[in-house]
Amino acid sequence: MDDKTFKKKVTRRDFIRVSSTGLFLAVSAEPVLSLLKPAVGIGNPLDYYPDRDWEKIYRDMYSYDSTFTFLCAPNDTHNCLLKAYVKNGVILYLGPTFGYGKAKDIYGNQASHRWDPRCCQKGLVMFRRIYGPRRVKYPSVRKGFKEWADKGFPRDKDGRVPDKFLNRGREPFVKVSFEEAYSLAAKAMVNIATTYSGKKGEERLKKQGYDEAMIEATHEAGTQTLKFRGGMPLLGATRIFGLARFANSMALLDEDIRKVGRDKAVGARGWDSYSWHTDLPPGHTMVTGHQTIDFDLATAENAKLIICWGMNWISTKMPDAHWLTEARLSGTKVVTVACEYQSTSNKADEVIVIRPGSDTAFALAMANVIIKEGLYDEKYVKSSTDLPFLVRLDNLKLLHPQDFIRDYKQKELENMELLDEGKMPPPSLKQVKQITTRKLREEWGDFAVWSKDTGAPGVITRDEAGQDGNFALEGEYEVQLIDGKKIKVQPVFQLLKEYSSEFTPEVTSKICHVSSSAIVNLARDIARNKEKTLVPVGMGPNHFFNNDLKDRAIFFVCALTKNIGYHGGNIGSFAGNYRGAYFNGLPRYLVEDPFDIEIDKTKPPKIKKYYKTESAHYYNYGDRPLRVGNKLFTGKTHMPTPTKFMWFANGNSILGNIKWHYDVVLNTLPKIDAIVVNEWWWTASCEYADVVFPVDSWAEFKYPDFTAAVTNPFLQIYPKTPLKRVNDSRGDIEVLAGVGKALADVTGLNNFKDYWKFVHENNVEVYLQRIIDGSTALKGYRIEKLEEDAEKGIPALLMTRTYPKIMGWEQSNENKPHYTKTGRLEFYRDEDEFIEYGENIPVHREPVDATFYEPNVIVCGTPGIIRPKQPEGYGLDRNDLSTEVRQVRNVVVSPIDLVKTSHPRRKDGFTHIYITPKYRHGAHTTPVDTDLMAIWFGPFGDPHRYDKRMPWVGEGYIDINPVDAKALGIEDGDYVHVDGDPEDRPYRGWKEGTEEYKVARCMMRARYYRGLPRGIARSWFHMYVATFGSVKAHETNPDKLARNPLTNYQAMFRYGSHQSATRAWLRPTLMTDSLARKDYFGQVIGKGFEADVYCTVGAPKESFIKITKAENGGIDHPLWRPAALGFRAGYENEAMKKYLKGEYI
Amino acid sequence: MSHKVYNWQLKSDMIYKYEESRPKKQIAWVFDTNKCIACQTCTMACKTTWTCGKGEEYMFWNNVESRPYGFYPLGWDVKLLEKLGKQEWDGDKYVGRTIFGSGEEGEELAGITPEDRDWAHPNIGEDEVTAQIEDGAYFGLPHMSWMFYLARICNHCTYPGCLAACPRKAIYKRKEDGIVLIDQERCRGYRKCVKGCPYKKAMFNLMTGRSEKCIACYPALEKGIKTRCVENCIGKIRIVSWLSTPDKAREDAPLDYLVHIKKVALPLYPQFGTEPNVYYIPPIHVDAKYLKQMFGPGVEDAIKTYRGNDETLVGLIKLFGSTDRIIETFKVENGNAIGFSNGEEIVRVPVKEPVIIREFHDEKLDVYRHSVT
Repeated sequence: MDDKTFKKKVTRRDFIRVSSTGLFLAVSAEPVLSLLKPAVGIGNPLDYYPDRDWEKIYRDMYSYDSTFTFLCAPNDTHNCLLKAYVKNGVILYLGPTFGYGKAKDIYGNQASHRWDPRCCQKGLVMFRRIYGPRRVKYPSVRKGFKEWADKGFPRDKDGRVPDKFLNRGREPFVKVSFEEAYSLAAKAMVNIATTYSGKKGEERLKKQGYDEAMIEATHEAGTQTLKFRGGMPLLGATRIFGLARFANSMALLDEDIRKVGRDKAVGARGWDSYSWHTDLPPGHTMVTGHQTIDFDLATAENAKLIICWGMNWISTKMPDAHWLTEARLSGTKVVTVACEYQSTSNKADEVIVIRPGSDTAFALAMANVIIKEGLYDEKYVKSSTDLPFLVRLDNLKLLHPQDFIRDYKQKELENMELLDEGKMPPPSLKQVKQITTRKLREEWGDFAVWSKDTGAPGVITRDEAGQDGNFALEGEYEVQLIDGKKIKVQPVFQLLKEYSSEFTPEVTSKICHVSSSAIVNLARDIARNKEKTLVPVGMGPNHFFNNDLKDRAIFFVCALTKNIGYHGGNIGSFAGNYRGAYFNGLPRYLVEDPFDIEIDKTKPPKIKKYYKTESAHYYNYGDRPLRVGNKLFTGKTHMPTPTKFMWFANGNSILGNIKWHYDVVLNTLPKIDAIVVNEWWWTASCEYADVVFPVDSWAEFKYPDFTAAVTNPFLQIYPKTPLKRVNDSRGDIEVLAGVGKALADVTGLNNFKDYWKFVHENNVEVYLQRIIDGSTALKGYRIEKLEEDAEKGIPALLMTRTYPKIMGWEQSNENKPHYTKTGRLEFYRDEDEFIEYGENIPVHREPVDATFYEPNVIVCGTPGIIRPKQPEGYGLDRNDLSTEVRQVRNVVVSPIDLVKTSHPRRKDGFTHIYITPKYRHGAHTTPVDTDLMAIWFGPFGDPHRYDKRMPWVGEGYIDINPVDAKALGIEDGDYVHVDGDPEDRPYRGWKEGTEEYKVARCMMRARYYRGLPRGIARSWFHMYVATFGSVKAHETNPDKLARNPLTNYQAMFRYGSHQSATRAWLRPTLMTDSLARKDYFGQVIGKGFEADVYCTVGAPKESFIKITKAENGGIDHPLWRPAALGFRAGYENEAMKKYLKGEYI
Repeated sequence: MSHKVYNWQLKSDMIYKYEESRPKKQIAWVFDTNKCIACQTCTMACKTTWTCGKGEEYMFWNNVESRPYGFYPLGWDVKLLEKLGKQEWDGDKYVGRTIFGSGEEGEELAGITPEDRDWAHPNIGEDEVTAQIEDGAYFGLPHMSWMFYLARICNHCTYPGCLAACPRKAIYKRKEDGIVLIDQERCRGYRKCVKGCPYKKAMFNLMTGRSEKCIACYPALEKGIKTRCVENCIGKIRIVSWLSTPDKAREDAPLDYLVHIKKVALPLYPQFGTEPNVYYIPPIHVDAKYLKQMFGPGVEDAIKTYRGNDETLVGLIKLFGSTDRIIETFKVENGNAIGFSNGEEIVRVPVKEPVIIREFHDEKLDVYRHSVT
């Protein structure tokens, strides 16, 4: 049937609509609609619809003019090439490229489309950030800083910057040109380096109260007080890692100031990244000698058992979550070991809940079961670990051949290359074997085992790594030393067997708040699946003070069961894009000799390292080392210098979202003369900066770069994009080059400019190709081809030994040595410091704050097996449990007695362990305040902000067990105060009633969360903190939006943040000068500090809190609306109750 | 006015406003809840393509709810379940009331109109579990305390509630592909569809004065490209393709295979009566009674089948997501899962990703391919 339609052209029409609340709204007249057709004439709309021309609307919305590719790469370990759909030069929407299945290496190996698609919700809303209102729009200089600079950097008598110029966070920013911003940064650098150089500089630092060890570490070079950090430098081989290159060029400045000649000149300092984030699992370095054992997540399908241990796979490794669920589909068993029913738990066959921070004890208990029941792989243990090595019971040192063999001569090692004094190692590309100095080899010596054949101690060297033998694992033996004395010795295995036997299932279940059957069953399960158990351990356990111990213990379990270094059986730790070593040719860029720059693009550069590295944790800690009682615990190789200047890129974590944020802002920043930040979005780091350089977002890159990841095998190029820059921004590397040029202008040293020559010439491919040509996993690629493919959405493959790539493969499959002094997986630490701290064996230590029990106490009941120095030995009171002293306290308690002890704050009404893990809606702080993301981040998001108290359309919250909440008088949805230890949280020296305390004291929403057991509370760690400006706005804006009117900064807390309850912590075992470890790049093994490899790492999840109600959740009702209506857990109405039980059918 | 129509999900006849008229081809989806990670990438894919305009601030045509405490809008199904009262199954035949003919005086069907504030807090209930996790909790399948993720789009029903409710017949179902659309020119904003859709997928735009809903990305589908939510799903839980009626099911058509042959994918709240065309593989760890209320009586068999490690089923589920084009037919053979469009191979993936070992020393380039670099 044909209907007669009629067209009535209507040009203007007012609509009056009645909304459900009864308000009348006039919808303004727009000539939206010109055709009105009556229903007459349409028959069955299932069957036929006459006029479908209107469908054009959505086809138009979908259509685009062109597409381009860019690489989205926050610090999330993934890196996804995204396809941008463009119309009229504007990005309409984003999507995946489906190019991962096309990735090839130079040998023709290809990935599959199982890897596609790759993107995420945060990436898809990225264009709202690219075009967003809080982009850094132009170079911005803090008003007070500019005044200080314009006046010529006047200083007080002790060299300090006068207070009136240091009103960070409370002043507006001034727009300047790039030239002026470059000039300001350059002049500040020169002024600061000069001020703190020489004897006069030292005196000033002394007057300012810095620790003498730190002052000494500057060696009178003022450039050593300049700190540079590119955040997770692997994220940008040239533009982010470029901050290190810049630090190297500072040697030019030092030479100019002190006139000491190029050989004695010193560059600036670079800060760490992986260890800064507490992503480095420091026990990995102790056991394997190198940074981390990990594996591409695609290898999940090779395993029969996967234990997600404090690792929330589906929320933090989202594009690779399908490998887990698909492995499960094919029969792999998935277990979660976590302190809650995690999001990943809903994909698990078994759920095990455990007290956070008690992982070491849990692992030891499993080891106990495995040893007791004889389930370990004897051959693997004897060949690949130090477990058969003999320990002297008189001094707890490893037995060496020279102890019992007169005139013992060390073997000539074949599996190592030895360097004589003063000789430099070959470049990465030429390195075949592991390399160390002759001096170190002699220091480490050879080792001893008990030969069952001879009934006597036998010599074993590094060359026997990977080789089995008829030596004892158990027993106690007597050895006669060359001086005639007779001593007792035991194999390391025997010590660990005795120690772990204390951790019976019953005792451990009380310590760990874990089921004793879980301990037994899981241990047997792992042992049943040798070479087939993958154990990804996450940042849950790693963010505790005892993180190195938990690694050593979990490695012990995996070593016993032959689950290290196989595609189906391995241990893993995954956080951040840390393995800059994939690009081991990077030294050609990072430490090119600034005095002898190679400007011929066809020639390789000359290398000279002038800059030094240190951990930023000391800056976090108040810019001081760990000096407690009568001891300086920070080793010389770790010693930081005073921080008088900092410049960082791509890293809000170093200031905006730093642990102990308010302490850093109020107590440490005032000591820093200048803070320079590269950012494309206005973060809390910008709030407290002096100079902010606006940089390009990934979609606007005009300079290529590359990156890689530890969870996938791809080499990822950042292609240049055709998108016109939205603001007046520059590339990160352009900014470096710009400041370099300004330094050349200020100092007259042209090398500062030439160091960035290829940036000035828009030819950074030269640097990139140099890195490729020097890198073992990249050589063979041409940057032009890589760029071309990336523009099409196709990455390349890293060429390590295997695909998927896994660490430990050569050691377990080809008997190559590990990177330790013994060449084996090491469980015993006989360095003096470890013996002194009671950690020669992997003991269980309680967390240093986040525990119900005595913080940091060592749990051990076997006398003599550890002999830690007691507090009195450091000049400390045994009963001093203050936060500072706790860090070095080696008091021992037996496993049975532990649960009788108590955290000192429990008597003051502090009740909860407070953890701040990572979640699906964040990648650090990068995407969280994007409006669409904030609305979905948790239960409280609301695009209309009906409750005007909300700081933004989404806000921070704390998850609490409902039983606990009720006991504290807290309802679901209420605002609560979260207070950490008042000794130093939210910052040292806080005073009630002050503006600072109001800004810093945290207030957030509470959510009833049954997934957490009692006594554990949790906030996600991503949300934007409250700042002075945001709090002022929240209290004075009529609509209460927490947006700083001076800077547009948008907070997601009304007051304070999760970082109000956290602080910096320094751990003694991570600051020794004696631990052997591989260098960051290449095959060289050294000892002592190495940034991101062996380093103090902090402990973000260490907090014990008090939670008190602040305000009702609701506005027209005490409860927030969903609870009042009966849809929330604990408040269910009748219909909800029926529905939950499935009673409607 | 009402007609008797046949609903194969209910295995019975029921009443509907219009005569039965099935489309020539029906676009349909399967979501594997066991793979869903609640990342909301699908939500943002849809949102950023279609509903970022003024008046659409609260509007998310695609959303993912954590069940059982997650809802968007608040309590949408609980309220309707309550209104309908007991919904009875006799084996696999439904003998209770559907929403049709159950409405109040003058209403076409039983529906709920959400209040404005019901649309706030789209991610309420995220990750929240049913029972308190105690100290030392340790359990296997089924979980004694659980939650799972329910991703939802418009179901492009065979008997849409929105279409029946519209007094102006401004909602129609396309004959060529079964997509249900609200005519943006003819809609007058009465919002009967908002009340009428049992799944609350018709939403009102205050600025234009019209209701809107998921359009199955027809501009993409018309080009053989997947809907945005499916294309962007990194959990690789979704497949979109053509579903035949049960009598015409083909073994090599992925939707037919999953829904009709393996019966591993089930409709959402079939008892509402709309014959929805989005099918869910139920979560294997969740209480069966709750799941039957949501997905009908086929739950236990579906879970059993899913866990059976069937080679073809496993291969197909691993094939999900691997291409941006619509797979019309598939096969799993020799360790590969292959997708075809119009008989032409468009994607091929290994059911198990291979392990490759490279030579340590590339002599030609003189480079050593260390693993530990």
